[in-house]
Amino acid sequence: MFLKDYISDVYNGVTSLLKGMRKTGYYFTHSKEIITEQYPDNRATLKLADRFKGEVVMPHDQNNEHTCTGCTACELACPNGTIKIITKFDITPEGKKKKAIDAFIYRLEMCTLCNLCIVACPSDAIIMAPNFEHSVFDRSKLTKVLNKPGSKIKEGIE
Amino acid sequence: MLSLESITKTIQDWLFAKFTPQIALTIECVIVILLCITLFAVLGLVLVLLERKVAARIQIRLGPNRVGPGGIFQTAADTLKLIMKEGLTPDAADKFLFNLAPFVVMMVAMLLLAPIAFAKNFQIWDINIGVLYVSSISSLSVIGILMAGWASNNKYSLLGAMRSGAQIVSYELSAGFAVLTIVVLTGSLQISEIVASQENGWWLFKGHIPVIIAFVLYIIAVTAETNRAPFDLAEAESELTAGFHTEYSGMKFALFFLAEYINIFIVCAIGATLFLGGWMPLHIGHWKDFNHIMDYIPSSVWFMGKTFFLIFLIMWFRWTFPRLRVDQLLNLEWKYLLPISLFNLLLVTVIAIMGWHF
Amino acid sequence: MNISSILFYAISALILGGGILAVTSVKIFRAAIWLLFSLIGIAALYFWMQVEFIAAIQIVVYVGGIVVLIIFSIFLTQHSGKEMNSPTLSKKIFSALAALFGTAFVHKLIVHYDGFTYLSALPFNSNVAEIGTQMLSTTSHGFILPFEVVSMLLLAAMIGCIVIAMRPKNEIKNNSINNIENN
Repeated sequence: MFLKDYISDVYNGVTSLLKGMRKTGYYFTHSKEIITEQYPDNRATLKLADRFKGEVVMPHDQNNEHTCTGCTACELACPNGTIKIITKFDITPEGKKKKAIDAFIYRLEMCTLCNLCIVACPSDAIIMAPNFEHSVFDRSKLTKVLNKPGSKIKEGIE
Repeated sequence: MLSLESITKTIQDWLFAKFTPQIALTIECVIVILLCITLFAVLGLVLVLLERKVAARIQIRLGPNRVGPGGIFQTAADTLKLIMKEGLTPDAADKFLFNLAPFVVMMVAMLLLAPIAFAKNFQIWDINIGVLYVSSISSLSVIGILMAGWASNNKYSLLGAMRSGAQIVSYELSAGFAVLTIVVLTGSLQISEIVASQENGWWLFKGHIPVIIAFVLYIIAVTAETNRAPFDLAEAESELTAGFHTEYSGMKFALFFLAEYINIFIVCAIGATLFLGGWMPLHIGHWKDFNHIMDYIPSSVWFMGKTFFLIFLIMWFRWTFPRLRVDQLLNLEWKYLLPISLFNLLLVTVIAIMGWHF
Repeated sequence: MNISSILFYAISALILGGGILAVTSVKIFRAAIWLLFSLIGIAALYFWMQVEFIAAIQIVVYVGGIVVLIIFSIFLTQHSGKEMNSPTLSKKIFSALAALFGTAFVHKLIVHYDGFTYLSALPFNSNVAEIGTQMLSTTSHGFILPFEVVSMLLLAAMIGCIVIAMRPKNEIKNNSINNIENN
C-alpha cells in the first residue's frame, strides 16, 4: 500500500513536529521555567544544581575527624596526577603502628573534575563541592591540603 | 481620524500645490526611499532582538538583558560594533563581485518591499502583477548568495552557496503553488484586490482545508527559501563555519544578516496578505456590528500584528526543529511538498470553479 | 528629452554594456554575472514599456532559471580565481563577422518595416486575465494549440529526465554488492 504509507508518513511527521512545538511553546509561555542565574547580582541566593562539580573537598565532622585511610586509591585513579598523598605512621595506644595520612595534597589547577577519584575512594572520604569562585592571584594558592591541621581518622575506619 | 492614508494624502496634496509635478514626484521618491531605509534599520534591530529573546525563552534562558532595560538596546550596540569593525576582503577573492554581493542581496530585499500594502491605501506600488512580481524578484536573491559564495574563493563558501542555490530553486516551486491557490480563488494577482477579496473573512477561514494546507506549505517553503533553520544548510555552522558569508566581516556581513531578516519580514508580510487578509480587520461574514467594532483597530496594526505573528511562528520553528540533511531536504520538497501542493491546487481549482468557498 | 527617454537610454546602456562585458570578460563567473545584468536590463525595459507580466516572466525564466543554471554549471566545472585563455585570432574574427551579419540582418528588417516610427493602432492591453484568456482560448486568435504543444514537449522532457536519472533496480543491487566487496 504505497498511498497508505505515504499518508501515514506525512501524518507521523506532522504530529511529531507539533509535539516538539508544544514543548517549546510551553517553555516560551512559562517564565517560571527559566533556569538562568544572574550570577554576580544574586550571589547570595544562588541556586546550583546538585550534581555541580567545582572542586574536591574532604569533609570533616565536628570532632575534626575524616574518613580517609590513606590507601592512595584516588591517587592511582587520577589521570592527571592531581592528588598526592603523604602518609605517616601513628602509634596506637596498644603500641602498634598504624598508617594514616599526613597531607592530602590536591592541585586544583591540574584537576579536570572528572570525578574518578570520588568513585575510586573505598571509604567515601572525598566528595565534589559546588564551589566555583576559584580565581586567585597566585598559582601556588591552588595547591591545597585537604585534611585540616590536627585532624585524625575516625574510629572504626580501616 | 488620523490614519496613514490621510497623512500620505495631505503630504501629496501639499507637495503638488507647492511644486511642479516633476519636482513633487522626485521629492516623493526621496521620501519613500528614506522611509524604506528607516524601516529596514528599525526592522533589523527589532527582529534580531526579538529572535534572541524568543530563542532565550524557548531554551529557558533570559537572553540579552544588560544593555538598556531588559536588553532592548543590545542590537543597537551590536550594530555599532559591526560598523566599527574592519571590512576585510580576502586576497584571493574576486574583489569586485565580493563587494557587490551584499548589495545585490540588499537591493533585492528593497525591491520586494514595493508591492506590500502596509495599511489601507498605504502601498508604494500597487503593481497589477503583485504576487508574481514578488516571486520573480525573490528568485533574484539566490544570485547574491551564489555571487558571495564564488567570489570568496573559499571551499566552505562555495559549498554553502551551492546548497543554498539548490534549496531556493527547489522550494520556490511549492511556495509558488501555495501562492497560486490564493490567486485561483481571488482571480487576481494584484495585492490590493487580493486584500479586498477578504473583506468578508480571511482566505484561511473561507477556503476550507485546502487553503489551510496551502498555508502550511507556504510557511514551510518560505522558511526554506529564507535559509532559516531547520533549513539552514547554507550556513550550517557545525559543517560549513558560516556558509556563503564565511569570509565577510564588519558591515558587509551585517548587510547579509540584515537582508536575511528583511526577507523574513517580507515573506511573512506576503503570507499575511494572502492568507490572513493583509491590513483587513477580522471580519466574519455578515455580522455587521462585529465587523464595525473590528474596524476601529487601525489597519496598520492589523497588518503588523499578523506579520509579526507569522514571524514568531517561523522563529518558533527555528528553535524547535533540528537541521535537515541535504538529501532529506530535497526529499521533503520533491517527494512530499510538491505532489501535495499540486494535488492541493487541483482541489482549490475545483472549489473555486464550483463556488464552494464562502 | 524627458525623463522617460533618459531612462530608456540608461536601460539600453545597461543592456549593451552588460552584453559587451559578458563576451569580453576573462573571468567566467564575471561573464555570467554581466549576462545576468544584461538580462535584468531587458526586464527593466519591459517594465519601462509597462508590460509587467512579460517583465516578471523574463526575470523568472532567464534570471532565476537560466542564469542560475549557468552559474551552477560553472560551480561544478571551474575553479574559483582562474582566468580563461584569451581566444584565438580566428575565433575573434569569426565572432566579429557573426555579430556584424546579425546587426545587418536586424537593420534590414527594421528598415523593411518603416523603421521605428511604426506605432500600434490598437491600445496595448497587458491585463493578466486577458493574457490568460487569450492563452487558452480556442477562437481564431487563441493560443491553445501552441500552449498544449509546448506543455507536451515539457512533459516529455521531464519524463525523459526521470528515466535518465532513475537507475534500474538490479543495478542498484549490484552496485551495493560491489561496494560491500570493495570495502
